[in-house]
Parts: sequence; C-alpha cells; structure tokens
Amino acid sequence: MRKPRFSRFHFNLSIVVASAAWLFAAAAPAVAQRAPWERMEAAAKLLDVAAPKTDAIRLDLPAVTQDGSAVPLTVTIDHPMTADHYIESLHLFASGNPSPEVAEFSFSPLAGEARLSTRIRLDGTQNVIALARTNRGEWLAGAREVRVTVSGCLTQAGAFDGDDFMRTRVRAPNRLRRGEAAEIRTLINHPMETGLRKDADGQAVPERILTEFRARVAGQPVIHAKFHRAVAANPYLLFHVAPGQAGTLDLEWTEDTGKTATATAEIPAA
Amino acid sequence: MRLTTVAIAVAALAGALALTLRHAGADPSGEDIVPVSNDRASAIAMTCANCHGTDGRLESTGIPSIAGKPEIVLRSQLLAFQRDEYPGATVMPRLVKGYTEEELAAVARYFAALKPTPEEPSQQP
Amino acid sequence: MKKFSLSRREALKRMGAVGVGAFLAAGGLPVYGNRSHGGQRVAVIGGGFGGATAAKYLKRLSPGLDVVLVEPQKRYYTCPFTNLYLGGMREFETLGHDYRELSRLGVRIVSQTAVDVDAEGRRLRLADGDSLSWDRLILSPGIDFRWGELEGYGREAADKAPHAWKPGPQSRLLRRQLLEMPDGGTFVLVAPDNPFRCPPGPYERVSMVAHYFKTHKPRSKVLLLDAKDNFSKQGLFLEGWKENYGDMIEWVGRSNDGRVVRVNADKLEVETEFGEIHRANVLNVVPPQKAGFIADRAGVTDESGWVPVQPRTFESKQVPGIYVIGDATQAAPMPKSGFVANTQAKVTARAILADLAGEEPPEPTWTNTCYSVIAPDWGITVAGVYEVHDGELREVPGSGGVSPMGAAADFRKREAAYAEAWYAAIAQDTWGSR
Repeated sequence: MRKPRFSRFHFNLSIVVASAAWLFAAAAPAVAQRAPWERMEAAAKLLDVAAPKTDAIRLDLPAVTQDGSAVPLTVTIDHPMTADHYIESLHLFASGNPSPEVAEFSFSPLAGEARLSTRIRLDGTQNVIALARTNRGEWLAGAREVRVTVSGCLTQAGAFDGDDFMRTRVRAPNRLRRGEAAEIRTLINHPMETGLRKDADGQAVPERILTEFRARVAGQPVIHAKFHRAVAANPYLLFHVAPGQAGTLDLEWTEDTGKTATATAEIPAA
Repeated sequence: MRLTTVAIAVAALAGALALTLRHAGADPSGEDIVPVSNDRASAIAMTCANCHGTDGRLESTGIPSIAGKPEIVLRSQLLAFQRDEYPGATVMPRLVKGYTEEELAAVARYFAALKPTPEEPSQQP
Repeated sequence: MKKFSLSRREALKRMGAVGVGAFLAAGGLPVYGNRSHGGQRVAVIGGGFGGATAAKYLKRLSPGLDVVLVEPQKRYYTCPFTNLYLGGMREFETLGHDYRELSRLGVRIVSQTAVDVDAEGRRLRLADGDSLSWDRLILSPGIDFRWGELEGYGREAADKAPHAWKPGPQSRLLRRQLLEMPDGGTFVLVAPDNPFRCPPGPYERVSMVAHYFKTHKPRSKVLLLDAKDNFSKQGLFLEGWKENYGDMIEWVGRSNDGRVVRVNADKLEVETEFGEIHRANVLNVVPPQKAGFIADRAGVTDESGWVPVQPRTFESKQVPGIYVIGDATQAAPMPKSGFVANTQAKVTARAILADLAGEEPPEPTWTNTCYSVIAPDWGITVAGVYEVHDGELREVPGSGGVSPMGAAADFRKREAAYAEAWYAAIAQDTWGSR
C-alpha cells in the first residue's frame, strides 16, 4: 500500500479554503433575488467572483424524495478536463442541513470528466448547491431544490452491521473503447455517524465519519475527496479516469480516527 | 371473548363518565373545546369503513360490526384503545391516537345512531 | 354518449345560495340532500381502490350527482393479497371484484380505456373515439412501469421474468413458474428504489414464496436483491423470516451490493452494481414506476413522473378541476397503498361536493393500515393517521406505528386473521363485494 502524500492539488484546495475569509467581503452583493449560493455564508465565502458561470453545472437529484438519509446526487460539469484547463475543485453544500458542507472534491486532469455521483443526507426540503473552480481561477455555480418527505411506511436507518465495517467495493470496466473514460464505482461500508443521533438509551452517538478518499492511477492522483457528515452512510462514489490511463487504480479511505481502508482495481487498456 | 369485551366496556365506563363531567364545565386548561360536528364525525367514521365495513356494517369476518352498538360501549372501547387499556388490542390503539377524545366520542355517537342492518337491501349482491 | 359541459362559474351560479347543513339520511351518511348536484357530472378514471371508492361515496353523499366511472376491466383484480395467491393461500378469482353494486347505486360504468384528457375543454376521450365531458374529474390511474430504465428489463423481458406488480396474467405466470420450479431452486426478487407501489409488498412477497417453498420445496432458496438499505416494517420482517423460515430468505441491501443494474431475462440472470451475477430459477423483477399514463395526458405529473396535489383536497397543483388520488400521487408520508387510496377517495369526494357547492373543503382526515402476511398465522401491520398541518401533509403526532417486536404468537396470529378480515371489509367498502 502506498503512503498518502500531500499532493499538489490538495495544496491548491487548501489555498482556496484558506483564502475564503479574505475574499468574503467582495463576495456577497446585496441583490433582491440572490442565488442560493449567495444566500449561504459557507458558499458565498468561497466565491471570489461576483458572477460565477451558472450554465455549466448540472445537478441531478430526485425533485421529491421520501428518504432524506441517502439521496442520490449526480453532478455533471460541462467543462474540458485537459492538462491546461480543467475543473480543479468541486464543493457541495446543502442549505438546510445543520452544517451546510457536504463534500469537497479535487480533480486532476486524469479524472477525464468533471462528473461524479454520490449519496447525501438532506434534513428536509432545501437547496443543494455546487460550486466549482477551474485551474485558471474561474468559478462555476449551480443549485437545485429537493423536497424531502418521509413515508410512514419506511423505517429509519437501522443498526449498522458491524461485521462489514469498512468493507470496500470497487468496480472498473472490463473493456474500454478507444477514447472512452473509465467509469469507476466505489462503495465502503461505514455508518458515517453524524453525532446527532441518539442510541436506544437516549445517549448521543459520537460523530465518527470517513473524512477523506483518494484515488490514484499508476501512482498519479485522480481525485481526492473530503467528506463531511452529510455524506450518506456507506459512502458511494462514482467518478472517471481519463482515456488512455490503463494501470492499477489505488483507492484509500481515511476515517476521522486515522484508520484507513484500501482497494485496488485494474483499468484495462483500450 | 364477548365477556372480556363487556368487562372492558364496563371498566372503561367510569373513565368515560369522568371525561364527560370534566368537559361539561369550563376546561381547566383554559382552551376552548371545539365541539365536534356530525359532519366531522362522519368524515372520521368513513375511515373506519375500510375495516369495519361501509357504515360500520360487516358480515361476520372477525372484525366486529359497529353500526348500532350502544354509544357507551363504543365510546368506552375507543377510549380504552387510546389509553392503552384494552388488553390484546392490535392496530386500534395506533389509529385512535390520531384523534381527540371528543372526536372519538362523536364517532361513537355517530355509529350508535346507525341501524345495525341497512334499511334498503343494498349491502351484498 | 350524451355530451354537455358546464363551466365552473355557471355551476356555482346554478348552485346558488343553498343551505350548508348536512343531514343524516337513513343510511347514516350526511347526504347533501338540500344541495341538488343534479346536472353536475363527476367523471372518475380508474376503478381500483381509489376510483371505485370515490364513485361510490360521491353517489352516496349526493344521489343527484351524475357519477361516471371509466374503467376498461369488467372485473378488477386487486394487488393486495396477490402475494397470498402466490403463496398458495388464496385462489386468484377471490381477488376479483365487479362493478354491479356500484351500478346499482346509480354510478354509470363505462367499460373503456380513457386515452386522453382535455383539461381546458373539461372533456376526456375514450378508446372508441367517444368523448365525455365533466364538471370535475378524478384520476385514480395507479402506476405504470418505466420500461427499460433498468437495463434489459422491457415489456418482452416480463414474459420470462415477470413483475407481477399489476394483477392478472403476470401474477398467474409467476405462480406457474413457482409451481414448475424444482426443489432446491432459487427464487430471486429484484426490489426497486423508492417510491413504488406498496412499500411492504416485495417483503410480503418473499415471505409468501418462502411459505410455499417450506411446504412444498423445502430445499429452495429466496434471494431478495434490493436497491434500498431500509424498507417498510424491516425489523418485523427480519424477525418473522427468521422465526418462520430460518435462513431460507436472504436480503441484500444496496450497501451490500444489492442494487441490480442489468437484467438478462433469457438467462434468468441479474447483475449488481459491483458486478456480481446472480442466477435464478424463477426471477421476479419489480421495475421502477411512475403515475399511470393518463395522468401524463392530463398534464398533472411533474418531472418526477408522479402527481403533486393540494394537500387538503388532492386537486392537482398543476391543473385545476382535476383531482388525483391513489398510488399516482405524491402524498408522502402516506404510502402508496390501497387502503390509503380508499381514504383519499372519501376525502376528495367530500372536497369536490363542497367545491361544487361553492364551499370550503371540510377538514380532511386519512388513515392507513398495511397488513403484511409473513406466514398463515403470522401477520404484521403498520398504521398511520394523517392530517394537513401548516399546509403540508403529516402523520398526526403520537399516532400510528408498527406492530410490536417480539410479540406473542397469539398476537401475530390475530393480525394474520385480521388481515383476511380487512381484505373482505375493504373490498366490500370499495366495490360492494367481497
């Protein structure tokens, strides 16, 4: 297993986050009908431009969902992923959650496509917001409202099966056509305890979540994710690896305790 | 089984009477008690029909027919369900907890006023 | 067919300032007797739990109203209890109900498929080309399948790997496949993500299949591949399966790679998200669903494929004058059940009569009880009472809930007996026949 390194694009992400406070003052113009990302402090803090591009991010979510504990989300960014111009980071927020941060993703051009799917927790009806930044400092923004109801015939998430704790699954394509990006699906069994739940005795269950996920192909970084507690239990992530990147895909998940889990898959040559 | 039902009805009678007396005067909580209209009672009664038959009339199926039963018996049973004082109850306690005591009393009155069998033969083919 | 139409304003004018009192009739229901709804027509599309109940109660509440029920089947077979048929506990014909009693009450039955709805012209078109006008329309269209959304599962695939999620030939096909399956075979059920018709349905179904296996093919297996991580009455089902069937039933949730992404109906194989191939002797696929197609034609569905409604009346949020009830609606927290459709029909019938009289709709109340039969002497329930609060549907706080865990055998046995009694009662309340 490879030891995690402090990669260059992780460094870029840190810059973005660290810069946030400096840029806040310039970021929130008082407009009558402000966009969802302008109405949320956590998102507005990130934006260092007044008018992000709003026609390139598509959020696919069910308009109405019965179960807010695992809402499927696909983010598609219509943007090239070439070595000199690519989506460098993606930030997801949920406006109505106790804490709005959902996850942050850093991509390298090896991700091939700025598109991913995951499952998130939504505490009631609200906006899901995506902000993305290119390596040239351009910002893109998108938002989508989701109505969350809970059906009387559905039980809430039950006890987590301890036997499979941090069991990982990965699936890469068996075959690839020339020029086709490899679609990678990953899943890890983890309760993602929010710290908000009480056990049967009324005691608060302490927060315990996976905080990071990294994928590398042939030793080169592809994607690095930072998870918050709004990522649904048993984190699921679908992403891509650029065409022509055959080799071993190394995956690593890190828990807030420091415990890690790994998985590998082979990406075939086209 | 019948005997048990009667016993429960009688046992719950005292409670039901106490309730009536309590509500006869001013409500100690200071909240106005909204009288339950017959229209509201019939709306609630319609939700009973899914299991107890249209108008609370049912040929023997294991679920009791309730049309024309004495008001005091129906009311005592409904209140006993609501207070979890009806031994061996299954689904009824969970359902009647969706209504106020006044609504349950009005529903008891509603079904008690119905004839146990329909006047026109429009029940079964 | 007689054609006429009446605008809403005309209707209100015609109603005039009639009395608002409701009177107790001999039958016990308040009959809106002093408001003649004569000349007003309510058309109901769909003769299931929602539509048949709506037609019946409209006529009972307002005998002068012209009530037309449009339903192509002369005999309607219910989804509830098809699982008991599959388990060998009932004959298929006992699930059928006709419309003679509704007809006797004065409901006009039109045995045709409604193929289009002209909301503006307040008119619907029938398969034979005829049309029918209405003053108010109720749609109770049930569900349709999203064919092909699950790769490899189109209409033709259902001839080999039945869904049996609408009663009829599909139910009989699945029963026949179970009867022909050799002992030691595997039954695989593929369950969809929410929302879908009858949330406890897939879990009752595997219970009934296991009952049949236990009594006839005891070396067989039941595998339930699920796109979800939790399901209705989960604890009670898991307990009931263990007690009645040991380890015969295996449930695999989404986070254990239970989500099926591809079906091969010819080979009776399914492939999961992470590439596991499961081979079945009998393969039952419950596909993703949406509101019945006539809802689309009427313009009442939204991008989810289901129908958003006004909570108090179930009038469409998108098309005034059209009311939608049953599985087609977005009515959470109410589940998509026959029981709920029946209570929605009654609330909506009263709301429509109030509307025709120019009055505010009465305060609504809905209930639900979903019985599931795990074994002949093992029944479980989930119940709920619903209301409108701050303009939204919600479960009345403190009401509802599921049967207790770890209950005595006698409790389970009585709920199983009540399940049978409930079926007889609701069939009588809906169609007037058991």
